[in-house]
Amino acid sequence: MTDWSHLIDLEKCTVSPRVFVDEEVYRDEQERIFGRCWLYLAHESQLPNPGDFVTCYMGEESVLACRTASGKIRVFLNSCRHRGARMCRLDAGNAKAFTCPYHGWTYDNQGRLIGVPQFKEAYYEELNREDWGLIEVPRVESFRGLIFACFDENAQSLDAYLGDMKWYLDLIFNKTEGGMVALPGLHRWNLGGNWKLAAEQFNGDNYHTGAAHESMLKIGLGPANGQFLGDQPWVRDFEAKLDNGHGWINFKIDMAGGVPAPLAQHMERMQAAARQRLTPAQSELVGCVHVGNVFPNFSILTFLGFLTIRVWHPRGPHNMEVYSWSMIEQEAPPEVVEIARKMQILTFSPSGIFEQDDGEMWGNSVKALRGMHRRNFPLNYQMGAGHGRTDPDKPGLIHPPSTEIGIFGVYERWQALMGGA
Amino acid sequence: MMNAADRTRLRHEFEDLLYHEAWLLDNDQLEEWLELFSDTIRYWAPVRGNMEPGREDLSQPHLLAHFDDDKTSLTLRVKRLRTGAAHAEEPRSRIRHFVSNVQILETDGPDRVKVGSNFQVFRSRWEGTEHVFVGCREDWWRRIDTTWKNEERFILLDHNVLENMTVFF
Repeated sequence: MTDWSHLIDLEKCTVSPRVFVDEEVYRDEQERIFGRCWLYLAHESQLPNPGDFVTCYMGEESVLACRTASGKIRVFLNSCRHRGARMCRLDAGNAKAFTCPYHGWTYDNQGRLIGVPQFKEAYYEELNREDWGLIEVPRVESFRGLIFACFDENAQSLDAYLGDMKWYLDLIFNKTEGGMVALPGLHRWNLGGNWKLAAEQFNGDNYHTGAAHESMLKIGLGPANGQFLGDQPWVRDFEAKLDNGHGWINFKIDMAGGVPAPLAQHMERMQAAARQRLTPAQSELVGCVHVGNVFPNFSILTFLGFLTIRVWHPRGPHNMEVYSWSMIEQEAPPEVVEIARKMQILTFSPSGIFEQDDGEMWGNSVKALRGMHRRNFPLNYQMGAGHGRTDPDKPGLIHPPSTEIGIFGVYERWQALMGGA
Repeated sequence: MMNAADRTRLRHEFEDLLYHEAWLLDNDQLEEWLELFSDTIRYWAPVRGNMEPGREDLSQPHLLAHFDDDKTSLTLRVKRLRTGAAHAEEPRSRIRHFVSNVQILETDGPDRVKVGSNFQVFRSRWEGTEHVFVGCREDWWRRIDTTWKNEERFILLDHNVLENMTVFF
């Protein structure tokens, strides 16, 4: 296996452009990153009942996640064992069995091959159906309703993999009794750009907000003081570098235009509920802007009462496909759900007035970095290096925005996985 | 009930109006375009999925959408494009709207009309990233004094996987 670790310089905090544009690097990532890490699939609220299923991706592989009669979630490659055809072409539904549209092999939702046309006449009943069940993804585990799966049978548990990230995820997913639920529908769109550019931005890039989202400030939709930074550095306004390449951004801002009253009241109620469930240090942070990334490609952003969670699916080194869901507290009244839903559509969706700008940047970068000459000159990730601190109140290596300590952690983790071993 | 001649006359009137609208959008006259909408406009484009036949329910509560705007948010979108810092439209894309299949779907008295139309929108971005967006619209127009104002625009995009959406329909 090719050792790609020389593409990251740990001393200088630089990253080679080849990490983002090279076809060979990309192919190895499929095996060494997407083949080994825990990948986000769906939220349990999307498949509440036995027989419910959703289709989604793990890297480039289409998978089928099924809630079986026992309530357990099992995940299979969405590909027939006979000629490989995509079995299920629906986004979601409820089914006891799946029939391949090509030759009609049928599987139950536990992956067993239960139907083979002309089994007697053509196969002489000699086909051993037990050997030809759907290919199962060996590991499936959940945290606070977030379902992850992993192709590596020997991977550490999801719990250990998330590590300190769980403390931060709880600020969103464990602040109320009912937790978060997914709204119906999925934003799905193509973007230029390498998947890591999106993942690293959510991991810890607060630095881009002033320039990339300058238009928002100009129309008076940004923070009242003109900066996406907050005013309590280290305490409430900070970024955290976490183990395994995860990262978190946390800050509190007052919006120039304020927020609609029902939403403000709802957020206060949620904060009060959080105090009953979380530690005092966590409760202080509920209601802030939270942005984070679970390595490799699962991102979270909550802002103005809405929550978007998304996966940046790799589609070659130069493109990605985004799957983005909208979530809200199960306790939110319909009026608040509508306010938050519309706010998210306006800001973070394919037409979103924040999102459009981000979507432009990632494609811009890979276009330039593809140049045979440009790719010889490394990218700079030095901001704040050596200035991070630990804090008894919260996990991780922290530093106020802006810093690239957390972002560089993505590439430290990438390097550990992409070495030759 | 409207007779056939009145219906045809009304259809021609809306063909002219929708062509005029497309002209405004293609020529970056977005402030004039906003004036076609009433102050109570709902500008709405739900997401499309891959569901079993008959199971796609676009009216279900809280369904995600590509747009669910009112006059205030539409106006904000236009204002933002004028800041010189809306990077996904700097420099501006080359855009062309094609409108067809215009038909009067329903009338509610002489001053309220539901009009259907199909569209194709071509966008050429920067050095040549090109996309085509296809769909149909169902609009409720109301005559106020002598002017038609759009009170509800329902946009059905015929796409499941979209692109960065910097255009209006």
